[in-house]
Amino acid sequence: MASVHESLYFNPMLTNGVVHANVFGVRDWVTPHKMALLVLLSELGRAGAQLGLLERRRLNRLLLPLLQGPDMALSRLRKAIEECCPHLAGSVHIRLKLMAEGELKDMEQFFDDLSDSFSGTEPEVHKTSVVGLFLRHMILAYNKLSFSQVYKLYTALQQYFQKDEKKDGADENEMELTNPEELDGKMEKEELDGPLREEEIACSGPLSQKQAEYFLSQQASLLKNDETKALAPASLQKELNNLLKFNPDFAEAHYLSYLNSLRVQDVFSSTHSLLHYFDRLILTGAESKSNGDEGYGRSLRYAALNLAALHCRFGHYQQAELALQEAIRIAQESNDHVCLQHCLSWLYILEQKIFDSCVLLEHSVNKSLHFGLPYLASLGIQSLVQQRAFAGKAANKLMDALKDSDLLHWKHSLSELIDISIAQKTAIWRLYGRSTMALQQAQTLLSMNSLEAVNVGVQQNNTESFAVVLCHLAELHAEQGYFAAASEILKHLKERFPPNSQHAQLWMLFDQKIQFERAMNDGRYHVADSLVAGITALNSIEGVYRKAIVLKAQNQMSEAHKLLQKLLIHCQKIKNTEMVIRVLLSIAELYWRSSCHTIALPVLLQALALAREYSLQYLASETVLNLAFSQLILGIPEQALNILHMAIEPVLAHGAVLDKGCAMFLVAKCQVASAASYTPQKKIEALESAILNLNEAKTYFAKVDCKEQLRDVLYFQARLFHTLGKTQERNKCAMLFRQLHQELPAHGVPLINAFK
Amino acid sequence: AAIGRAGAMAAAAAMVVAAGGGDFSDLREIKKQLLSVAERSRERGLQHSGKWAAELAFALEPLPLNELPPPPVLTEEDARDLDAYTLAKSYFDLKEYDRAAYFLQGCKSQKAYFLYMYSRYLSGEKKKDDETVDSLGPLEKGQVKNEALRELRVELSKKHKAQELDGFGLYLYGVVLRKLDLVKEAIDVFVEAAHVLPLHWGAWLELCNLITDKEMLKFLSLPDTWMKEFFLAHIYTELQLIEEALQKYQSLIDAGFSKSTYIISQIAVAYHNIRDIDKALSIFNELRKQDPYRIENMDTFSNLLYVRSMKPELSYLAHNLCEIDKYRVETCCVIGNYYSLRSQHEKAALYFQRALKLNPRYLGAWTLMGHEYMEMKNTSAAIQAYRHAIEVNKRDYRAWYGLGQTYEILKMPFYCLYYYRRAHQLRPNDSRMLVALGECYEKLNQLVEAKKCYWRAYAVGDVEKMALVKLAKLHEQLNESEQAAQCYIKYIQDIYSCGEVVEHLEVSTAFRYLAQYYFKCKLWDEASACAQKCCAFNDTREEGKALLRQILQLRNQGETSSTDVAAPFFLPASLSANNTPTRRVSPLNLSSVTP
Repeated sequence: MASVHESLYFNPMLTNGVVHANVFGVRDWVTPHKMALLVLLSELGRAGAQLGLLERRRLNRLLLPLLQGPDMALSRLRKAIEECCPHLAGSVHIRLKLMAEGELKDMEQFFDDLSDSFSGTEPEVHKTSVVGLFLRHMILAYNKLSFSQVYKLYTALQQYFQKDEKKDGADENEMELTNPEELDGKMEKEELDGPLREEEIACSGPLSQKQAEYFLSQQASLLKNDETKALAPASLQKELNNLLKFNPDFAEAHYLSYLNSLRVQDVFSSTHSLLHYFDRLILTGAESKSNGDEGYGRSLRYAALNLAALHCRFGHYQQAELALQEAIRIAQESNDHVCLQHCLSWLYILEQKIFDSCVLLEHSVNKSLHFGLPYLASLGIQSLVQQRAFAGKAANKLMDALKDSDLLHWKHSLSELIDISIAQKTAIWRLYGRSTMALQQAQTLLSMNSLEAVNVGVQQNNTESFAVVLCHLAELHAEQGYFAAASEILKHLKERFPPNSQHAQLWMLFDQKIQFERAMNDGRYHVADSLVAGITALNSIEGVYRKAIVLKAQNQMSEAHKLLQKLLIHCQKIKNTEMVIRVLLSIAELYWRSSCHTIALPVLLQALALAREYSLQYLASETVLNLAFSQLILGIPEQALNILHMAIEPVLAHGAVLDKGCAMFLVAKCQVASAASYTPQKKIEALESAILNLNEAKTYFAKVDCKEQLRDVLYFQARLFHTLGKTQERNKCAMLFRQLHQELPAHGVPLINAFK
Repeated sequence: AAIGRAGAMAAAAAMVVAAGGGDFSDLREIKKQLLSVAERSRERGLQHSGKWAAELAFALEPLPLNELPPPPVLTEEDARDLDAYTLAKSYFDLKEYDRAAYFLQGCKSQKAYFLYMYSRYLSGEKKKDDETVDSLGPLEKGQVKNEALRELRVELSKKHKAQELDGFGLYLYGVVLRKLDLVKEAIDVFVEAAHVLPLHWGAWLELCNLITDKEMLKFLSLPDTWMKEFFLAHIYTELQLIEEALQKYQSLIDAGFSKSTYIISQIAVAYHNIRDIDKALSIFNELRKQDPYRIENMDTFSNLLYVRSMKPELSYLAHNLCEIDKYRVETCCVIGNYYSLRSQHEKAALYFQRALKLNPRYLGAWTLMGHEYMEMKNTSAAIQAYRHAIEVNKRDYRAWYGLGQTYEILKMPFYCLYYYRRAHQLRPNDSRMLVALGECYEKLNQLVEAKKCYWRAYAVGDVEKMALVKLAKLHEQLNESEQAAQCYIKYIQDIYSCGEVVEHLEVSTAFRYLAQYYFKCKLWDEASACAQKCCAFNDTREEGKALLRQILQLRNQGETSSTDVAAPFFLPASLSANNTPTRRVSPLNLSSVTP
């Protein structure tokens, strides 16, 4: 039954069953705040040449945000103006006061005078300038007001002014202004308003359509480029709800709410908002007659496509596939090739989760180029390159492809894709083991000026590519032993990508990896073990691998072996070649640690073959080092020296400091071992060059603080000096060795037998 | 009856305290109370409450002259305010609220004070509505509020603290609180109002609107009067607890209110809600006879006529209502339904729009308009209409269902799943949503989910009797012949127990499948019985005959063990004993996420 107080209610916005948000065709309307701005503008015009250049510039910079932003209280506005030009603030206040405390005709006069600024041979304001447009909008909006609305506006202005006055004069003349009865009433009111108050603060008043659009686009671009600068999820949602309360037809707000829900991983409300948005969009699409039926069908297709994207993001791949099928079917029915291309790209992403399919992607790239979709085509090329790199395709071709796509980017000024491409290159160079190239690319991206000049205040964008590049940079520094620099970079990452933001997982993983490496170098295995759990949470394969390494270091060989075998099978299945090689190397190490060098050899050869095939150069050299070591132990040091010559160069050029040290140590060992058969003269030469190499190894180890290795080197060096009869040097080394040996617990493995 | 306040006592002195505990023994007393409260409500301009009381009083036996309630005794204060009150009341009746309030300023008597506050409240409401039209910008329309509410709240709360409000005053205070969205406080005040003045139906009605579930109802301490019975019956209907509501209404009728049109209409609405169409229709016809110029609830009546496609009756109703008052929401709705039944959907939509212009909060019209746009194949407008309905009331399952249907028509079965799921959440026991969900899953080739939906739909009581057939066909597709046969058997039993075979085309399909099934299982008797049944339908006749011939042949080849050729038809009697599906209703666990 209807409520007792249902009065007759007429809604003018309802025509033909469709509610028009914009029945008056006004995108903007006059509010007291806008009037204050108008006063400011007219004062600005009147002040003219009296203003200093600096003041004028400051004011001009202030104006745009004021014109676009939401309404604010008079006191805040006045403060903002005062900061630029105190003189002007005073005159604005006086004029507002005159208007508010005067009569209605003052306001009418004011608006009549406004249009004068356009007239004259040399008008103060150009008609099509930003200010001119604003002025004309306001004049038009004012002229459209009905009789009662004009009066309402005037009372609103009075209230707006009085609120400010009251705040000012609250402390001084409170007693004079308010008689006891009013005070009583006020107190009652305040007491009763308790529960309502908070709500009132939250909603700072309705936004006009223009203001709302500005707000939405601003927040959306912030969400995309720099999440930390956007409003916090909760408060953004509050603003959006507020906006929707006043205008439920504002479809874009639903979309932003969808994006916002994605930020906090809320499936329910994001689905709800997304569908709501498209329900609304379908309407606007239907209304635009230029496209006819086309506009409306179009949003349907994209609705299904977006739903697929949503499910994909939350990991509901089956659901995503169903939605995608639907989108593809509808797009096919209506011959929308552009939409189909988008669907194809998404199809690739989905299929990727299940199995590799280059064919889809190639199609996608070709077709996208054909339909003139550079963005999509380039994205396709990027993923194609990525996939091919993992699949071990020729590096020169990949680099060529990237170069071509770069051409495309620069041609179409796709700044976002340029970033992605550079980040991709960094990653690929790293994969190939060319750390210097990777370093160079990373620096290029970081020091490049963004093409988007929109965010003047924001120098760089907080996109994924930046996170990737910075992470690589941190790891590269750590590898070279610059731990302070690495932690500095990580600190910067933490600031730029707070822990709950989208790309935070990246740096978290790298942070833990670096810490893990350090702990391993220092021989603090328990610390490393505790980090494994964190790594596993972020990347399970990496986690298992690290676990095996810790087990290996703790001499739990059989457990480590079991784990590594399992990992090997898994990685071979998912075709993660890089990890396969690393696992093979670890397995080989396990074998030679258990003195089964003959078994280790075939494993190493397998690893070497794989590394060569996939052109993972660095891993290949590491394999060669292992191989050489095995050969050394097996008693063919000459052979070992031979193949070491192959590996030593890339290791010294691109390797981590630790690896460099190991390599040099190994070279020295080989030299000594092969010197046994030399003539005495040659032998001394060989030993001396070995000592030099050992010195180099020592500096490398000292850089990364590897005491164990350092101890081994010292021991070896002492023995060499002893052979050469250099007692003084020998004693020095022996003393250093003694110091280190007391510090460190004895190692299970014989000293000379260890390579790493 | 608890009346604990001095002020209220004074006000209630003129009337007899309502009898307690649903005690309907003294109908004369009740009638007296009703008459007096109707009078008092009218004096305060509370016309709806007055109407309700008067209607109910009319249903009871007339009183002899000497038992009529005496005219209310005037107190000293009343006498002092009498002139102002009389003047203001006439202004009030002419909807000049500000003027009425002006002349009532400073009046101390309860009646005049109430009218004073009430005129201020109504004036604020009226201005609010006017202003909505005339606001500065479209975005501001949500901001328009009744300016008077805050002041009223301050003054009334002062009076409330000083315990100076009578039942009507408390009611007004509650209304003000509710308008300010202070729901909890409002409920407390309405409960208090019900205690002080149980006879005032308005307070009870407001309480009905604020109580959202059964739990809330349990924790209210309500006055123990016969009015409580009416309240409970009403709220049970609102909360869709139809069984309890019908019981209450029946006991009210038994107590002597059999002639009350209010109760009759409520019962009809209740039957409508549980989709017992025949009963609802007959009750509505009865109601029309007793109260031919009634407009309330006639939209519900027209919905029923629509469902039954009773064109002449609906046409008569529409014309009749249009003569009575064509600018009522209900009338527009009835006319809309009428045009819709005549497939003049443009006109129907027009009338629903008119209904919405008259009252935009009239929820049903949005949904109905959506249906009309669907008929007109204007899907985008339909979507908009449904979305509006959802905005007015998120729990409107028909709008969710309509949205789902729209997208299904647009061939987006995955997309519409979401909407059907929403509808299903709101009406977990409505088979229509489940069947729709099942169909979508079937289209998406998710047969396991589809099976679950159909089975569940059957288990909760299938309205359209299609779930079993669909389930059987699914089983057929999956080569689960055993289950398929069982479903068909169950289906045939269902159809026969209803007694209306004619409309169901699928019966022949069922018999055909069963015949073939039994044929494969070499159960000749059953097979031939089914095949014979097949011959009764046009589309399966030939097949049935062919099958019969085959059976005969095979029987003649094998030894004729079962001599009885003309086996008695076993359905639904004999087979049902052992062949009914014994699967229990599994909890509906749709694997997909249900956002």
